[in-house]
Amino acid sequence: MVHFLQACMNGLLTGALYALIGMGLALIFGVMRIVNFAHGSFLMVGMYVSYLLFERLKINPYYGFIAAGIFLFGFGYLVYKLLIQPIRDRSDFMQILMTTGIALILVDTAQLTFGADYHQTNIDLVNRAVHFGPFTLNAASLLSFGIATVFIVGLREFVVRSRTGQALRAIAQNRDVAPLMGINVTRIQGFSFALGIAFAGIAGGLLLPALYLFPSVGEDYTLKAFVIVVLGGMGSIEGAAMGGLVLGVAESLTSTYIGNQWALAIDFVLFLLMLSLKPSGIFGRQRA
Amino acid sequence: MKELRGAKLWITIGLVALSCLPALVVENNYLLQVCFRIALFAALGLAWNLVGGYAGQLSLGHVAFFGLGAYGLAILASHSVPVPIAVLIASLLATLVAALIGKIVFRLRGPYFTLATIACGEVLRLTATNLNITGGAIGLTVPTVFTGPMFWKLYYLSAVALAAGCFLVNFWTANSRFGYYLMAIREDEDTASAVGVDTANYKLRSLLLSAFLTAMAGALYGSAFQYIVPDNILTIDISVQMAIIAMLGGAGTLLGPIVGAILLLGASETFKTQFQESHLLIYGILIVLVVLFLPEGIVGGIEQLLRSRRKAAKPPAPTPNQSPAISAVEKGN
Amino acid sequence: MAAVLELRNVSKRFGGLRAVRDVSFQMRENEILFVIGPNGAGKTTVFNLISGFLHPDEGSITFSGHDITQTEPHESARLGVGRTFQIVKPLPTLTVRQNVMLGAFMHTSSVAQAQGEADKILDFLQMSHLKDFPARGLPLAALKRLEIARALATKPKLILLDEVVSGLTTSEALALADLIKRLPEWNVGVVGGVEHVMQVVMKIADHIVVLDYGAKIAEGKPEEVVKQPAVIEAYLGPKYKELVR
Repeated sequence: MVHFLQACMNGLLTGALYALIGMGLALIFGVMRIVNFAHGSFLMVGMYVSYLLFERLKINPYYGFIAAGIFLFGFGYLVYKLLIQPIRDRSDFMQILMTTGIALILVDTAQLTFGADYHQTNIDLVNRAVHFGPFTLNAASLLSFGIATVFIVGLREFVVRSRTGQALRAIAQNRDVAPLMGINVTRIQGFSFALGIAFAGIAGGLLLPALYLFPSVGEDYTLKAFVIVVLGGMGSIEGAAMGGLVLGVAESLTSTYIGNQWALAIDFVLFLLMLSLKPSGIFGRQRA
Repeated sequence: MKELRGAKLWITIGLVALSCLPALVVENNYLLQVCFRIALFAALGLAWNLVGGYAGQLSLGHVAFFGLGAYGLAILASHSVPVPIAVLIASLLATLVAALIGKIVFRLRGPYFTLATIACGEVLRLTATNLNITGGAIGLTVPTVFTGPMFWKLYYLSAVALAAGCFLVNFWTANSRFGYYLMAIREDEDTASAVGVDTANYKLRSLLLSAFLTAMAGALYGSAFQYIVPDNILTIDISVQMAIIAMLGGAGTLLGPIVGAILLLGASETFKTQFQESHLLIYGILIVLVVLFLPEGIVGGIEQLLRSRRKAAKPPAPTPNQSPAISAVEKGN
Repeated sequence: MAAVLELRNVSKRFGGLRAVRDVSFQMRENEILFVIGPNGAGKTTVFNLISGFLHPDEGSITFSGHDITQTEPHESARLGVGRTFQIVKPLPTLTVRQNVMLGAFMHTSSVAQAQGEADKILDFLQMSHLKDFPARGLPLAALKRLEIARALATKPKLILLDEVVSGLTTSEALALADLIKRLPEWNVGVVGGVEHVMQVVMKIADHIVVLDYGAKIAEGKPEEVVKQPAVIEAYLGPKYKELVR
């Protein structure tokens, strides 16, 4: 039983970061219906930014992630304006292709700049553990969990309460009518995309201490992000948060009881199951 | 219109004859290998074109069939099945798997469909990595059909033959009811249903055909390189390449995938020798440029140009009783 | 005259909205029937139910002896139910001729034959000069005719015309109405239409069914139906029904 709960807890810790990634994609795909196959690559960029700050300026990633987030906000906005907005109304086909192209560019640029070698940050916190009762939790993971939770709740509040957040949801529900309500659709969409990418960057920064860094590290996360968004229900920011946690726990349990190498497989199995049985997601309502 | 099609057929027969030339002229094994890959990917692009170009279903999971062809050949051959028969059986098995996959994924539309196809490809990769029969992460050896100094020349010609076969399938499709039905599905599934097209059935048929051809290419590829590992033969990169080759050249056209293969692989080879491993960057930039400026692909763009030139030659007569005001307003419908 | 299509107590609900309520009527051989009613009355929903794009929650639909209540659109089409779409759905990158060929393919697998069929129909609808143009970019009047052409190519026994004259000028609409009246030349036994343009309805309808809020409120010959108080009230409001008396 303890074993089980321990696995669940570990899963929740990772799950919070997944939630960040998923919520970012939910903003982009769920709200704007832009198919962003480059999401994981932006996460990778966030990791490299944090890494650079750590290597060159000795800034701890647990502070550096903020800079990564800000940088990716701006970068995301630029990418949106130059490459995504012109094809906003084209088919999903084209968007998938475009973002795939962007992903390839990002990954290969990273490889040309930093080389294919694995990099690692050595943060002391990663080696420390927190004990309570029969349970042991990694201190670094606990810290990222805490930070991630702040951002998860923050984003949720923002989307639900703020005027921009409401504008966002208005656009999600009916893009044609939204401008009639005085919403500047182009600007909000650009903001939404940038914010989604920023969250990918933040997640990247927080993941840096725990992972090996190499150019294609982000690729798995793009797919995970889509699995999370589907699990949570398309367009639902809160759903994506829940979806991230669910995925984290599912992976952790799979790792513990079936084997490490099958952890990635559970992502796809869940994904295909969800799409086949309840396409609206665990927490989603039926959408046209 | 008909004359153009007739001319196209002769041009392509000529091209096929021409493409046999490298087998006679080139002696460098590395170059022959490059030619082999170009021809093979032309075949792959053409195979993908059936599902992605004509039927308009953006599958990014085709590598599943590619890998199944290669693994099927390797496993069957290791049980003493003669190579040609093994290739056939492997391809048929891949087609069977395609039927299963099709049942699942064709219920989905748009990006969900694409994501599901990716998931299928990845599930297969993970399965191959973790099973004993597929050699796990270490992989398997694949038997060769040809040996000796003519090795790459013969493999190259085989690839050309496969590409020619795929081309013929495309050609037949484009000029048949089957092709029209696929295109209708691509343009508007409801309209297709309203004229009696069982869309699920036809989508599946295009997938089965495409899967069979893709699997044969996979078997040929595995045989040529004699060794397969999941990360090489079941990687999503191959799925993406197939799609890009077709799109770059022109999805839904006959010559598009061929042009795309020559261009894309040619470009990446050139850059590989100049700039090492930056061919992904080239792919990425090409994709971005094509999507932004040439969404019909190269051949598609040319066809568009020819069509508009022909239209300009004879101005359209107005529809009877047509009011210019209404037509101006309704352009966007 | 024999009933070719029969709806019996058909109902359809979308969540809390009852779009079609206990509707029954027949379409008979050699008859042009129009379904009219204010906006939102459920007319197009009825057509979607008949052609299989929607399935009723209650009731049954029979066509030429077949129960088509739960059939899929392509099955209904193959049984002989042809339809046009209210919001035109052409195949944009295909030419006008290719669009029509698509319908013709239901009865032949030969491209040449389908072409011949398509050309004949385009001729009838006076669209031959548009044959080789891609459907995308054509004006609405042409697209509406294309819808009819494509449906006609499937050699339907019953054709459902969903607001085929909306958006046309009066003269365009009346010209099209004349063509609709000639549809029996193509062995289309029954023509059903949804319309708002009353001139067309009065000109060519043999029989009218009036819907309001999903329920049938009147049925009969055109001249009689339009005088009924319930119908006038539905269209113009309660004030005007007094004027008839």
